[in-house]
Amino acid sequence: MITQVENPILEIHDLTVSYDQNPVLWNVDLSLPAGNLVGILGPNGAGKSTLIKSIMGLIPPTSGYVKIFDKPLNDVRARISYVPQRESVDWNFPASVLDVVMMGTYGKLGLFRRPGKKEKDLAMRSLEQVGMTGFAKRQISELSGGQQQRVFIARALAQEADLYLMDEPFAGVDMATETAIFQLLKDMASAGKTVIVVHHDIHSAMNFFDWLIMLNLHLVASGPKETVMNEEMLRKTYGGKLNLLTRVTDLIRQKDFNPLKG
Amino acid sequence: MEDFVYFFTFQDPSIAWVVLGITLLGVGSAYVGTFSFLDKKALLGDAISHAVLPGICLGFVLAGEKNPVYIVTGAFLSGAVATFLSSWLKRNTKLSEDTIIATILSVFFGFGIVLLTALQKSGNPEVAGLNSFIFGNAIGISESDLLLYGGLALAIILVLTVALKEFRLMVFDPEFGKAIGFPMKAITFLFNVLMILAVVIGIQAIGVVLMAALLITPGAAARFWTDRLNPLLILAAFFSVVSGILGTYVSFVIPQMPTGPWVVVFLSLFAVVSFLVSPKSGMLFRYFARKKYLTKTHREHLLKALYKAKENGRPGLTIDEIYELYPFQKPETKQSITDLEKLNFIDKNQQIIDLTSKGVTEAMRVVRLHRLWELYLNESMNIAPDHVHDSAEQLEHLITPELEAMLEQRFNFPALDPHQEPIPRPEKK
Repeated sequence: MITQVENPILEIHDLTVSYDQNPVLWNVDLSLPAGNLVGILGPNGAGKSTLIKSIMGLIPPTSGYVKIFDKPLNDVRARISYVPQRESVDWNFPASVLDVVMMGTYGKLGLFRRPGKKEKDLAMRSLEQVGMTGFAKRQISELSGGQQQRVFIARALAQEADLYLMDEPFAGVDMATETAIFQLLKDMASAGKTVIVVHHDIHSAMNFFDWLIMLNLHLVASGPKETVMNEEMLRKTYGGKLNLLTRVTDLIRQKDFNPLKG
Repeated sequence: MEDFVYFFTFQDPSIAWVVLGITLLGVGSAYVGTFSFLDKKALLGDAISHAVLPGICLGFVLAGEKNPVYIVTGAFLSGAVATFLSSWLKRNTKLSEDTIIATILSVFFGFGIVLLTALQKSGNPEVAGLNSFIFGNAIGISESDLLLYGGLALAIILVLTVALKEFRLMVFDPEFGKAIGFPMKAITFLFNVLMILAVVIGIQAIGVVLMAALLITPGAAARFWTDRLNPLLILAAFFSVVSGILGTYVSFVIPQMPTGPWVVVFLSLFAVVSFLVSPKSGMLFRYFARKKYLTKTHREHLLKALYKAKENGRPGLTIDEIYELYPFQKPETKQSITDLEKLNFIDKNQQIIDLTSKGVTEAMRVVRLHRLWELYLNESMNIAPDHVHDSAEQLEHLITPELEAMLEQRFNFPALDPHQEPIPRPEKK
């Protein structure tokens, strides 16, 4: 059940991704319309983070390509914002909340230029949008999980992008924060931005997203929520890994040589 | 004392030069070292500093004398090979990082010592000076050498200042840096170059064996005092410079004394003092904070005991009864009684102790928190009423007024706890 669209904001063409010799995503082929709140669903180890990391060019694809706004990634980086998983950084790093949010302005600043008043104002406005103005001067290790997540989202907002890719922004977040963040993302989508979110909770996914991508090492479904949220798709996504596929993956790993590369 | 005045008034221009050199070296290595400490790559600095020894010897062989340009170039190249080798091994083998670093350190250093011993047997009179590269000799540095080392140190400081934002990103969130299109590989490469240079500039003043200490210790010590990057860098540089100058002074006063070990001694003093007395993360501060909390806990337990006596209709407790409540804590109990009297929470009437009206309010607060928490454990976490007391006994001291308000609202100002005891509140006026 894969719905392709005309004039997609994001086009993924036959993307296969491997870690070392180990294929973790097989032939993903999809396209997304603009102005949607898109959820990426799937069980643990389904390749959800891998998909958005390879969209961002953080992992080189084994084969296939990605086009964003009909252009290669490097031409449009300034219009894309990426929110990594919260655990991917060391929160004991000596920095204030404002320092981290300011990093969102680095991309437009370019190398070796220092952020000034304009960047600081932008960072403060971004903090305000996630309701963290009062924490600007706080040391980042003093924040709760949900607050750290909001700092990361504020940093993404400071990038002033058109496409947002967020890796598990709701992990370790309390209900009140989750609702507040979702409302913010919805507002962004209605303002014409596209927000793609890796998410793990099917229940809240039903309520919040317009478009769903379901993964389980391969692409199970991609389409408007109403068309893909059904029992068959859920079973294909969460009903365990395809046995044969896993066997082939094991075989490739044992050979220590990836025939998919080339 | 004469030496001290002579040294620190810089009447001797060669001393002034050495101190200036040590200052630049201290700032440069502390800057680079603080970043590698934050990046959790402290061991790499140690490996590099040991690995430059073969390069020093080869530089000497090629030049046939102690030519600083040859030696610095040799040291740099040898450090670069070690750094490259360690990242190549990490990428292409399944060896763990600490194995790789330990191997590289010992292989390169061993090879360097072999070369050094061979050179010493060669009979070249210039070789004697090479020994100072092991433990360092700041006083023996000539002015022309200083120009080279100081110039390199200045270059390191400049590059780090210009690319502060990039290096901050490299340590905190390199993936994000890559995502916004920064050349993170080139930035990491540049940092490795700076790291090797920082080692190289210290080889003559501090020596290859201890140079890693000058890289890592200043940042580690300064981290106890601050949570911000810029003050951290400045403080680390300060520790490093002061230790460097003091170490140089000692090796000036005592003939034949190497500089490196003394610099490390002073650096370690800074580190130990920071570890003990810095606010918030220092050992002493944490010890006293904990002690203060325990004293408060004990005081609040005592108030609660008096309140419960009141609930049972008794006019207070005798001192002996109170001592019996805490059989092995007589000094603590005595202290609590004195403290509570000072706070005007209790009254001592002959041998009977009773709560004052101020004390009743405070005791009521503790009892209320205790019973509210018991109710929460029972109602919201499904814990049986006879299992909730111990947890409440510990958490009643921790619950803030904000949490208290949340508890009250959740149960809509409940009247009874799970043991059917009343939850007390001051009467509203």
